Amino acid sequence: MGNDRRYELWLPRAVSRRQLIFGAGAAVVAGGLAACGGGDDEASPTTGGAAPDTTGGSTATTGSSATTGSSPASTPAGTPGGTLRVGLVGSTNDIIDGQYIVAKADQARCVTGWDPVLNYDTDFNISYEHSLAEEVETKAADNYVIRFKEGLEFHNGKPVTGDDIIYSFRRRIDPELNLAPGLAELLGPDGMTAIDDRTIEFQLLKPAVTFVNSLAEYTTTIVPVDYARFDGDVSTQVGTGPFMLQSFTPGTESVHVKNPNYWGSGLPLLDEVQIIDFADAQAMVNALASGEIDAAMDIPFAQVSTVESDSNLRILESQAGNWLVITMAIDQAPFDDVRVRQAMRLIANRQEMVERVLAGHGRIANDMYGVLDPCYPQDIPQREQDIEQAMALLAEAGQENLTIELFAPDDTAGLPELIAVFADQAQAAGVTVDAQVLDGGTYWGDEYTKRTFATSFWSTRPYLIQVAAGSLENAIYPETHWPPPDSDFTEKYEQAIAETDDDARCEVIAEMQQEEYDDGGNLIPFFYNLVDGYAANVQGLEARPNLLNLDHYGRGWKSIWLES
Amino acid sequence: MGIAKFVVRRLLLGVLTLFIVSIVVFALTQALGDPVRAILGREAQPESVLAKREELGLTRPVLTQYWNWLTGLVTGDPGTSFTNGVPVLDVLGDRIWNSLFLMAISAAVSIPISIAVGTFAAARRDKAFDSASSAGSLVLASMPEFVTGLLLIVLLATNVWQIFPAVVRIRPSEPPWVQPSALVLPVLTLTLGVIPYVSRVMRASMIEVLESDYIEMARLKGLPERTVVWRHALPNAIGPALQVIAINIAYLAGGVIVVENIFNYPGIGLALRDAVTDVNVPVVQFIAMLIAAIYVIVNLLADVGTILVTPRLRTGLR
Repeated sequence: MGNDRRYELWLPRAVSRRQLIFGAGAAVVAGGLAACGGGDDEASPTTGGAAPDTTGGSTATTGSSATTGSSPASTPAGTPGGTLRVGLVGSTNDIIDGQYIVAKADQARCVTGWDPVLNYDTDFNISYEHSLAEEVETKAADNYVIRFKEGLEFHNGKPVTGDDIIYSFRRRIDPELNLAPGLAELLGPDGMTAIDDRTIEFQLLKPAVTFVNSLAEYTTTIVPVDYARFDGDVSTQVGTGPFMLQSFTPGTESVHVKNPNYWGSGLPLLDEVQIIDFADAQAMVNALASGEIDAAMDIPFAQVSTVESDSNLRILESQAGNWLVITMAIDQAPFDDVRVRQAMRLIANRQEMVERVLAGHGRIANDMYGVLDPCYPQDIPQREQDIEQAMALLAEAGQENLTIELFAPDDTAGLPELIAVFADQAQAAGVTVDAQVLDGGTYWGDEYTKRTFATSFWSTRPYLIQVAAGSLENAIYPETHWPPPDSDFTEKYEQAIAETDDDARCEVIAEMQQEEYDDGGNLIPFFYNLVDGYAANVQGLEARPNLLNLDHYGRGWKSIWLES
Repeated sequence: MGIAKFVVRRLLLGVLTLFIVSIVVFALTQALGDPVRAILGREAQPESVLAKREELGLTRPVLTQYWNWLTGLVTGDPGTSFTNGVPVLDVLGDRIWNSLFLMAISAAVSIPISIAVGTFAAARRDKAFDSASSAGSLVLASMPEFVTGLLLIVLLATNVWQIFPAVVRIRPSEPPWVQPSALVLPVLTLTLGVIPYVSRVMRASMIEVLESDYIEMARLKGLPERTVVWRHALPNAIGPALQVIAINIAYLAGGVIVVENIFNYPGIGLALRDAVTDVNVPVVQFIAMLIAAIYVIVNLLADVGTILVTPRLRTGLR
């Protein structure tokens, strides 16, 4: 469809704008989450002040090598059988493609039918659990060898071969299809050599350790040779995932039945999964309350307490790294003066923003993104509201009693509210913010990335991938026009992306983060979480940090079961 | 002039009406927003915007676009969806029939009830039933469907009693009547929206008829009141009410849009909501024209019906 390179990022094509619905969750920092993975039905993560100690995090070469639930000895817990009915907000534009999504509704269907090559664990280190790959060896920053698990089969029983794997990657980078333009920049169609039927060597066009991250996208999957997007014939939708497509009517429902050839032994437990589209989140919540569906993706904030008060229902809150941002163009007056940028960041009362914009369902941010990246620096102090200092900085810069327009689109939940709250807070510093809400078409039109003072949204991504998306001169969306001309930020980026040593790379990233924290044009108030609802008899969903809703859609619902 | 000639003349007028509506619909959908921007969103780079515009045929002159659309509409080809290139008729498919079914059931339930309530209230004017139904009508008439619908859900589907499903789930390739219990709440919502208006008009019309000389005569002849009301008065009272009934049935075509959204009923209302958000102009245009056509047809039927039940008009045609 589009040429959006966001597809290629950590979360492929996050969400089409209007479908951005806040999930909810309590304010937690990643490290605090180990405490709430205890399988408690009520998602009630504790507010962890503790910072996660993940700076020494690893990529694939050193990452956790836990094997999946396929380990032959272990029998999966839970009662097999039954049908799970999942509700989500979707439309007649929904698609099924094992390697691509257009709207958020497509995520669930992709994950249900196709396993990814790699995954992240709850600390967002690369993981082999739930993954098709058994090992990824980094020979150099531009040379990787992936060995796939033994005995992988497609839905139709055909074994996965090297041809299928190479076809899958060629399809991902096919310029005609444009599924993963970011990966296409790293990998050419002839960059793959099959060493044997489950081992492939990759020679990249340039050094980029983010290649491993692109393997962990849920749309980097393996499809059989000649696979193509759903076009009316369900028998074409062959993958390696826990469920096989039985029927699909866009905007209405899709039905998926158990894959008898699944590589995870004894999995999946359910016989059938139905993914049901709702046009309206309210109708979806009603359906959950009246028992028409068993789980619902993205409960609107206003409905969370209703769901919580129902003894038959549960809320699932998952921490994520999605963020909203107020952007300042660092090369345009008055933000060409770093003191004015700092003043804006000091005006923000982030906790109040979390309360008023997210109804408390999020955690404050510190003007830096990539919070789930193992290299996220934990030692940079939290920026707090300081009106006095803000006013002093504005006076120094000759900008006291500043009047300025701040823009937001009407199609992204939270942004209009965010600029209204910021305008309120700015009054205390004598700054008059004229909060302007534009219709989405106009907002994201020609003026987008050209405005002096504006807003945007981003999903969870590793730091370096996010930098390429928004913080380089040739970034896809250079919202703040970062970096400044005299900065060596770009060189540091090139250095980091070619650095295979995790600690060394994290050091460079820490410097980059510090520079953006000190001088950058992003005012990042918070990260918001994912919130879903489910019926009490649905077992196996866990509240833990996640990139995708409903506990990563139960990793294709494979360990989900229904209590009778 | 016979009834056939009258129908033909009204049909031609209807076609003219639809032609004018088509101009209005086309003009208004131009104001929906820029479909290309809506499709591409943040990824709208100048080249891709241009390419998309070309692909959707938006670079042609507006009059050409209108003419192509109109001729397509007449020949049964209302174009393809902007968002996925699927023909509009395939996008809507069964949804059109689902919506028509919901309308038809709601009309079939609400009209007889309204007539009965109005007639009963008129026959016992100023008695308890009359006052109660008047008050009830006013309350219902003041509530928009989305309020009635949500109240019914709270009362009968979720919070108070869980009797009926809160949403209608029609499986693909299944007809909408497979799960009748799911239809209760949407039909009830629409019915409660129609009853106040039709029953009030029916009551007024009935009162007028009951005061006429021939009814007096019938009563003097000693006919039981029941026969007087239902056999002699009702046929004459329905004539004036028919127009209002027609308007309300036509109104159901709009009402289903709201109700479908409340109950996630897979009809044209849900499709319209998607289409408006996406600025999917061909789908919006087709649904607008479809609803306009329903208005025209229902009003035509009402006019013919009025003539058939009104002897004076019937003979006037000759």
